Amino acid sequence: MKVLTSPARFSAAVCALVLIILGARLPAQVTDQELLKPDPSDWVGYSGTYNSHRHSLLKQITTDNVRNLQAKWVFQLVGQQHVQAVPIVADGVMYVAQFNRVDAIDARTGSLIWQYQREPVSTGAQRGTAIHGNKVFVTTTDSKLVALDARTGNLVWEVAAAGDRYRFAGQAPLVAKGKIIVGGNQPFGFLQAYDVETGKHLWTWNAVPTSSTDPGAETWAGDSWKLGGAPMWVSGSFDPELNTIFYGTGQPGSQWAGDVREGDNLFTDCVVALDVDSGKMKWYFQFTPHDVRDWDALEMPVLVDAPFRGQPRKLLVQANRNGYYYVLDRTNGRFLHGTPFVSQLSWSSGLSPEGRPILTPGTEPSVLGARTCPSTMGATNWPSPAYSPDTGYFYVIAQEGCSINFRVSDRPGETGGGYIRSPKEGEEWRFYLRALDATTGKKVWEYQHIGSLRYGPGVLSTAGGLVFAGEHRGLFTAVDARTGKPVWHFNTGALITSAPVSYSVNGQQFVAIVSGATVMAFALPDSSAR
Amino acid sequence: MTGIRDWGLGIRTLLLVAAVSICSAVSLSAQRGRGTGAAPAGPKNPFQGQPEAIQQGRETFNARCTVCHGFDGSAGEIGPALGLEGRRFALQSASEIFGAIKNGIPTTGMPPTPDLSDDDAWRVTAYIQALRGTAIDAPTAGNVALGEAIFWGKAECGTCHMIRGKGGIIGPELSSIADTRKTASIVDALTNSGYRVQGDGGAIPRKLEVPNNYQVVRVTLPDGKVIRGVVKNENSVSLQVLGVDDSRLHLLDRAKLKDVVYEKTSLMPRDYKSRLTAQEFQDLVAFLTRQSRREARAVEK
Repeated sequence: MKVLTSPARFSAAVCALVLIILGARLPAQVTDQELLKPDPSDWVGYSGTYNSHRHSLLKQITTDNVRNLQAKWVFQLVGQQHVQAVPIVADGVMYVAQFNRVDAIDARTGSLIWQYQREPVSTGAQRGTAIHGNKVFVTTTDSKLVALDARTGNLVWEVAAAGDRYRFAGQAPLVAKGKIIVGGNQPFGFLQAYDVETGKHLWTWNAVPTSSTDPGAETWAGDSWKLGGAPMWVSGSFDPELNTIFYGTGQPGSQWAGDVREGDNLFTDCVVALDVDSGKMKWYFQFTPHDVRDWDALEMPVLVDAPFRGQPRKLLVQANRNGYYYVLDRTNGRFLHGTPFVSQLSWSSGLSPEGRPILTPGTEPSVLGARTCPSTMGATNWPSPAYSPDTGYFYVIAQEGCSINFRVSDRPGETGGGYIRSPKEGEEWRFYLRALDATTGKKVWEYQHIGSLRYGPGVLSTAGGLVFAGEHRGLFTAVDARTGKPVWHFNTGALITSAPVSYSVNGQQFVAIVSGATVMAFALPDSSAR
Repeated sequence: MTGIRDWGLGIRTLLLVAAVSICSAVSLSAQRGRGTGAAPAGPKNPFQGQPEAIQQGRETFNARCTVCHGFDGSAGEIGPALGLEGRRFALQSASEIFGAIKNGIPTTGMPPTPDLSDDDAWRVTAYIQALRGTAIDAPTAGNVALGEAIFWGKAECGTCHMIRGKGGIIGPELSSIADTRKTASIVDALTNSGYRVQGDGGAIPRKLEVPNNYQVVRVTLPDGKVIRGVVKNENSVSLQVLGVDDSRLHLLDRAKLKDVVYEKTSLMPRDYKSRLTAQEFQDLVAFLTRQSRREARAVEK
């Protein structure tokens, strides 16, 4: 072994010291600590922060100067279409994921830094990536979880989904407490945790019973739990203090015909609270027991710490597809408050003190068709809402309107069905960006997305007093967070099915969104930006 | 076509569309064990697209086949529905359908009908082809030349509609209407005041579609001038309106308009049953149900 001479030893020590100092600012070093309290310049996960506020603390772009906002760059995700992924940003690098693919882009200029593409090219709906340390994570079409080096795109490790029956869906992974949380729809809804360093499988949680002795099996008549369902294809939230992750679950199998699965069908259409270390369920709350209208509960659970009826509370709020806005105590899942956030709501006449919907007879799907408001598409849907601690408002894309829901046959065992838009005047589908008081659910203002017929992008709130929301047909709009007054817009020219994010590089704030297969970044003109 | 277009056809259409567009499992299960490869070529149906033969085929069908396949092939208790829109049919070519009628389908409940003459079997085949097709597969009988004269003359269709480069621009272009609509839908558009072009069952579109609802709007400009027109597109910021009176495209800024009023009724008149004699109406439909570009397309290939 060669012994270093004294000067050499000294310079090695200096080098080491310099490396340590530099290491703190090496690109893409995202520690557990940063994930707990991210630098406002970064957007480190699907929802930006663990509480899923989608609220950026950046305030260079304000209601006063937003009219000057201009396109800075575009990046074409060649080979992709109608991208649903939310970009993440760490230390000036943007990562956009698809199944089997990640593009790393200079977030100032839109220049490609590296691209990971494994065969085959997929245009399936995959909603983003996550970062930890020097690794970014993506799921693949052959149900692998892959860790890539965030600096190069080189493969660090890959593992197959644990258990041969499990297939990953396109949800963006959530990194929490050294674990990657991913889930899927096949063979039924599930969540799994893997170690970020090694990819080792840590736990699996099944969203429906897998045997007659599993919890929840008593809420499925006979062995109808075999119908499964409860797909989990949207990311969730994390409360580090409670050591708990919160996820929505999807609709039961046989989504139109309920007679083949009498009972509440747990844990479909629920929000569930799981211990992040063990995957054990702490509590659940079911929004739509015995769902027959395809109303999944995959809308993002948003964690709000705010006074509720005078008491500071740890709340979980969700605008559900079934038309009600819910306020829960997230320490125990107790229902605190619920109120419709759409005016057209026909299937239920209200909520019981426990939060259970009181059903209106005759609105279940039938062979001749049953009118139901909100429509099966939902009073809202998976595109994320936002919450601003500055205003105390919850911002959500809401749909007014009704559908006619069918069953193909009323013969027992025939489970097919579907829905169409209601043709009745006044029941046509209309889309709004709405601000609700987060603790009461009362509508404060609304801004109609005229011409929009679908759910498109999610919502972004910023400390600059702005809410960014687009509509499906491509218009990207900023409104005043307090009044809902439109203050800026840009036509992206393609369908938007992703959600905007905000980040900052070298002191310049950007707002970015994917439209079609194009990433677009906006900022103030350089002169007024500083 | 992504789903329901013709609301006026009523609840039956709704049901069919719901059944078809969303639950393909039904048609698949009805075709268990059948091949799904490309239809082999065979003799052409001598009666295909001939209105009288199709009507005769329909009568034969409804007299002999409904026990299994339902009236007008709409819903079968034993056999599959034969005209369901969007269904993948196991037997597609004229010769396959003809063969099934004559010889039955072995291993299924479909019996042979040896007493049916070849011509009658071809007529039933033409009827089934018409059920599955659009107007051009079963054009209405009538005097097509007179129908064309009525289109441009008495009925004034050409004021709004264009066919092969001639006519107005406010309404839909009709050169291939018989390729995209069924006859019942065309008749409905001419007569049913409740007729609406309807949505699509909630399918997620994969591309930016051109809006085609022909919504009528009256906008008031800052100077008080009123423009009445058809909305080609709109969003929360802008409107693109084709003027009814000036046939000009108006690119409007929503924030600058004094007023925007959406009219509840379409510009399309629905009184053709009273405006025209029965024979004139028949001739007009005969003309419309032959507006096809199918052969032109075949030539272009």
